[in-house]
Amino acid sequence: MLKAENVRKVFGSTVVLDGVNLSVQPGEVVSILGSSGSGKSTLIRCINGLEKLDGGRITVDEFDVSKPRELAEARKRSGTVFQLFNLYPHMTALQNITLAPIQVLQQPKAEAERKARALLAQVGLGDRGDAYPAQLSGGQRQRVGICRALAMEPRYLLLDEVTSALDPEMTADVLGILADLARGGTTMVFVTHEIEFARQISNRIVFLDKGKLVVDLPTAAFFSAKGGMAVPRIAQFLSKMRKD
Amino acid sequence: MRYSSFTPYDIVLLLQGLGVSVGLFLATSLIGLLLGTVWAVIRYYRVPGLWQLMSFLAELLKNSPVLVQLFLVFFGFPAFFRVNMTPVEAATLTLSLNTAAFVYVIAVSAVESVGRDQIEAARVFGLSRWQVLRHVIGPQASAFAVGPLVALLVNQLQVTSLISVIGVVDLTKVGNILNLRTLKPFIVWTVVGLLYYAAAKLIAMLGTRLENRLRAHSAWKGL
Ligand SMILES: Nc1ncnc2c1ncn2[C@@H]1O[C@H](COP(=O)(O)OP(=O)(O)OP(=O)(O)O)[C@@H](O)[C@H]1O
Ligand SMILES: [Mg+2]
Repeated sequence: MLKAENVRKVFGSTVVLDGVNLSVQPGEVVSILGSSGSGKSTLIRCINGLEKLDGGRITVDEFDVSKPRELAEARKRSGTVFQLFNLYPHMTALQNITLAPIQVLQQPKAEAERKARALLAQVGLGDRGDAYPAQLSGGQRQRVGICRALAMEPRYLLLDEVTSALDPEMTADVLGILADLARGGTTMVFVTHEIEFARQISNRIVFLDKGKLVVDLPTAAFFSAKGGMAVPRIAQFLSKMRKD
Repeated sequence: MRYSSFTPYDIVLLLQGLGVSVGLFLATSLIGLLLGTVWAVIRYYRVPGLWQLMSFLAELLKNSPVLVQLFLVFFGFPAFFRVNMTPVEAATLTLSLNTAAFVYVIAVSAVESVGRDQIEAARVFGLSRWQVLRHVIGPQASAFAVGPLVALLVNQLQVTSLISVIGVVDLTKVGNILNLRTLKPFIVWTVVGLLYYAAAKLIAMLGTRLENRLRAHSAWKGL
């Protein structure tokens, strides 16, 4: 289980996360919605240990990300896909994917490459393993980013607006892959502005507003008139997002 | 033959001088490259106390004349620390440290040129700081640094000429000797200048080849 308890994060004098509680069971897909600046990315960055907490606790399968000794284990259990891909530009797609499995999981190179090629084939890039990131389109780069995370066989996949740098066609590509993963039982924490997509794939939806997690509901309840829509902030947010 | 005319042996003298200059250049460049890189790694790890000291030392070395450093080491150190130092030792120490300071500055900016986002990605996937340096930062930083480093080395070759003033018989010193003997400064200094030029060209050429090699794996750069 991935668990955030009473998480607090401040930058200078701004409180960015204010007592956030969230738990994600294996097999679940949980989407995080919220307006720009509400703290979604910060929450993801706290979970994968890129930001230090100012209060509360985050555990990934019982490993506390705030404890340097446990962070390595916690990180092995979660995989992150980034908004701007964050690929290593001097490495081919294949090398991008195999770096961590070889260095961190100590997989033999041949095995890591075999797995990487299988992943690339799965996302329709079977023949692009030797291309450098600059030689790939945005959508292809993000697919490599997804493969890179999956190659670590994470128990939890963290995705932070992974399609927002892509045009609609590439977005559809990438979302298609994520939908497959969700159906295959991959656990996901999914930060997104793609409301309709979140509705289709999520078991639960949580809403962040100014650093506070204001609702945490099963998907159907979130979109029902008596559930999430009864919260003015959410109704307002959803109607604005649908207009865009 | 008059005492002041050129003899075939002068060519041997000039080549010996060139050998001393190039030898010293190679030795101090190698030490300087290693030392400067180690300083940069110390900074990368932010080893408390040590990295600020390195930065300060580099600043000092970078912003004072090499000639003054040379005098300090050759005349000042023996007087103050009561150690004996030959001219070659003093020259090696001074030029190595001076090169190291500039290598450090280049290495630091090369490391900083690598995008934060990739480094974060590598950390999130569990790579240690050393593994990040080795696999993500290192290759990109060296491709970035090789141009400035070659320019630095070409310059450091010229700087070696300063060591003639403390009595090392390098190419410039040989030029001086020949000049005093033959009283033909125009010919002597033209020949000496051309020899430096040839050596510098050679370094630049080797550098360009290395640069192309290092960037070959980053075909992405050219796109
Ligand atoms: N490193 C930082 N230093 C200072 N402030 C920061 C830093 N990172 C984030 N913030 C602030 O924290 C707040 C939350 O940022 P965050 O990126 O988590 O929002 P978000 O919900 O992901 O927004 P978006 O939908 O635009 O991506 C913002 O006000 C932002 O300015
Ligand atoms: Mg964000």
